[in-house]
Amino acid sequence: MTRSRRILASLVAVVGTIGLLSAPGTARAEPYLAVQMGFKCAQCHVNPTGGGLRNIFGNAWAQTQLATRRLGPEDDLWNGMLGKYLAIGGNLRGNYATTRVPDQATTNGFDLQEARIYLDAAVIPNRLSIYLDERVGPGNAQEQEANVRLWLREGSVYLKAGQFYLPFGWRLEDDNAYVRQLSGINMQTPDRGVEIGLEQGQWSAQLSVSNGTAGGPEVDDGKQISTRVEYVPGNWRIGASATVNNADAGDRTGLGLFGGLHWREFALLGEVDYFDDDGLGSNGRKLLASFVEANWRVRQGHNVKLSYEWFEPDRDVDEDEQTRTSLLYEWSPFEFVQARFGFRYFHGIPQNDLQNRSEAFVQLHGYF
Amino acid sequence: MAPVNTSRRRARRAPALSTLALGIGTTLLASCTAGEGTGLDANGRPPGESGAGQPPPAAGANDFRAIQDTILTPICTACHAGASAPLGLRLDSANSYAALVNVASVQVSSLRRVLPGDPGNSYLVQKMEGRAAVGSRMPLGGPPLTQASIDLVRAWIAAGARPPATAQAPQKLLVVSSTIPATGEIAVQAVREITVVFNDAVDASLVGIGGAVQLIDERTGAAVALQSISVQPGNATVLKLRTAAVLAPGSYELQLRGQGSPALASVDGHVLDGDADGRAGGDFSAAFLVVPAPASGGSP
Repeated sequence: MTRSRRILASLVAVVGTIGLLSAPGTARAEPYLAVQMGFKCAQCHVNPTGGGLRNIFGNAWAQTQLATRRLGPEDDLWNGMLGKYLAIGGNLRGNYATTRVPDQATTNGFDLQEARIYLDAAVIPNRLSIYLDERVGPGNAQEQEANVRLWLREGSVYLKAGQFYLPFGWRLEDDNAYVRQLSGINMQTPDRGVEIGLEQGQWSAQLSVSNGTAGGPEVDDGKQISTRVEYVPGNWRIGASATVNNADAGDRTGLGLFGGLHWREFALLGEVDYFDDDGLGSNGRKLLASFVEANWRVRQGHNVKLSYEWFEPDRDVDEDEQTRTSLLYEWSPFEFVQARFGFRYFHGIPQNDLQNRSEAFVQLHGYF
Repeated sequence: MAPVNTSRRRARRAPALSTLALGIGTTLLASCTAGEGTGLDANGRPPGESGAGQPPPAAGANDFRAIQDTILTPICTACHAGASAPLGLRLDSANSYAALVNVASVQVSSLRRVLPGDPGNSYLVQKMEGRAAVGSRMPLGGPPLTQASIDLVRAWIAAGARPPATAQAPQKLLVVSSTIPATGEIAVQAVREITVVFNDAVDASLVGIGGAVQLIDERTGAAVALQSISVQPGNATVLKLRTAAVLAPGSYELQLRGQGSPALASVDGHVLDGDADGRAGGDFSAAFLVVPAPASGGSP
């Protein structure tokens, strides 16, 4: 198959799979949970663009619907509120992983992937909040998100300023997914700027202007403009993203299409992103990445996730594509705890061992 | 009633349509496979562009090209490239040297990303070794770099973090690019092997001649017994010394003769510039310290 046919196939695949819909949904968090529930991100998260601190509904749902069973008393749910104005939450992920690279010794070890604390001070309830996402481990503390959010129209139009994750595509938990690496927009790369957002009925939209340095110091006059629009009628959704980073190092333009659908106990997510980066190589490069993820909710508290990713690092070079296939089993035995068992297989050009590695991991995820 | 009927029809049709969509999507995506790599180098680039797979650095070069070709380009630039590189750190070949050497870290501003001569206090090394004050080990989410790769970076920094060869004037001299252990390094592991990297292929017939290559125990002033001195097969820029026994704690000095007879020289006959004065001749020396390993625990 030629490169152009592969690109076309990737585009058609995503458009095809998100273009159809089905029946009512059940429960879950992370993007696939939103797809399964037919929710927008703001339904469960303080941040309208998703991720980070869960709101009262999100906390209640996580304790009663996400886990296999509940250990705590039924009539005493954690709601994250420390008094009337201050909400707190957190995440901690610890891993044991083993990696096999061809012609190299197998490596394995325990690792603290990250520990985060979230704080939201609603100094004027439902109108003005100050939000912090502090990474407290491994190593010293480092702010990820730190911004003030003002609802210009309560519940529908907001303005955010400070440091935050830029709006683009699916906000995946996996920062190493090809679509998140290619865009350079993930949970490790906040940027500084302002964002205006709209939450209106079945629509959700954001527009941001930022330094375009992914958290680094500003080094030129250029700025990055990013936008994301999503339509969420219920059992399916579709969205589009765009970003332009005007920098002395070379302009970078990205376009993305993403979506999801839910049918019975299955949730399917897809995304395809195209980037044109003048700062890569001597003549710039055009890159493409796609992502498809299928989730099967075996029963409450048990989820099987299968994903397939494809990355084209340079459209002008043939036979350099890479793929990444992941199979995960996620088990939430009781509230606030999730165990994940996963296997990832990377496939790339045969002369690069790292592009043909495999990984197996176990992760314990605690959250509140 | 009409809306109800429409809704029921839609509900009946939805599972079939979803299954069809899933099948089409899966089939098409499955056709998006990995490349065969035909005609590309190890970094997936056209031959000659990235340097991977090319012969080892030539005369006048140093180790940075090897670092670029084996670590930065194939691994780090998966994220650290382009206008939106994390923390503004671009590690592609056109930008990496300028972004690293003597540039303050964004995460720990009191440290330089690369502090020439001091690998232990270079933030790049700390991130690769997973002991940085802030954030995760790099590469993020990927397998740790091999110790050989980290040693390559350490040796380059210890030797002064010199720029890639293309930025230097071509020289017709044999010089030492780096040593492991490096000059001034405090080695805590069991040292039995000393590595010397030259900028050019060294004449193997000269290395074994008495006195050309010596390791001196500074406590006694005597030469340490060596099991072997050999040029690495397939890469004549690398010289390896293997001691007869693990080095006891103490101070040692590696000596390479660049004057008198025998003096080390390249295969092209260029005599070692050991004292780095830009002229052929002069002895080279590198002193390092071996200390006992901690009894238990300790840093990874």
